[in-house]
Amino acid sequence: MKNRRPFFRRQKSCPFSGPNAPKIDYKDVKLLQRFVSERGKIVPRRITAVSSKKQRELARAIKRARNLALMPFVLD
Amino acid sequence: MSYYESVFIARPDITAAQVESLTESLKQIIVENGGAPANDEYWGLKSLAYKIKKNRKGHYTMIKLEAPPAAIKELERNMRLNEDILRFLTIKVDSLEEEPSVMIRNKGPREDRVPQDNQSAEPDNNAYSKEYTGDTSSEENFSNTGVDE
Repeated sequence: MKNRRPFFRRQKSCPFSGPNAPKIDYKDVKLLQRFVSERGKIVPRRITAVSSKKQRELARAIKRARNLALMPFVLD
Repeated sequence: MSYYESVFIARPDITAAQVESLTESLKQIIVENGGAPANDEYWGLKSLAYKIKKNRKGHYTMIKLEAPPAAIKELERNMRLNEDILRFLTIKVDSLEEEPSVMIRNKGPREDRVPQDNQSAEPDNNAYSKEYTGDTSSEENFSNTGVDE
């Protein structure tokens, strides 16, 4: 088993599923900030391990927050 | 009738009292068109992440409401016409949250940290070594004015 998959990666779980998961809200800038890069880009879910459903929700929330100038479109 | 949350950003050079009356007039429009505004939250004068019409800051207010589509249309039309409103966002929500939103909740515990008088001159410079913990939005004194209904 070990020989077959030397680069086995532990199954990461979605940060938005489970009993006390945070609710995705465009107003919660502090939460959303964790899912954007230093330049303000949305981090792909292969890195953050967000489920695809929640990633869509998250992207929507981030875009709403950007529209209200709560978050930047670009940071440099 | 569906539930909505409407956030608008007002120009920074008007006073908080003027924002309050602006909110009231918007709520009036909602009522006239058969809607029912639930409560509103004044998030305070926050700095914008980017400039909007050459402004770096803005008064944020959120109105929670229940209204027919026609009222939303009229509300948005009026917000578009109003020169004091830099931007607005109205979104449909499944239900109205009763408790104050994260904006208010995050501001709450910070309020007692803001007033610090380091005016009493200390001989050592330790007063300046302390880190500035607040983010950009902590310089105003926030209060939730929207619990009148």
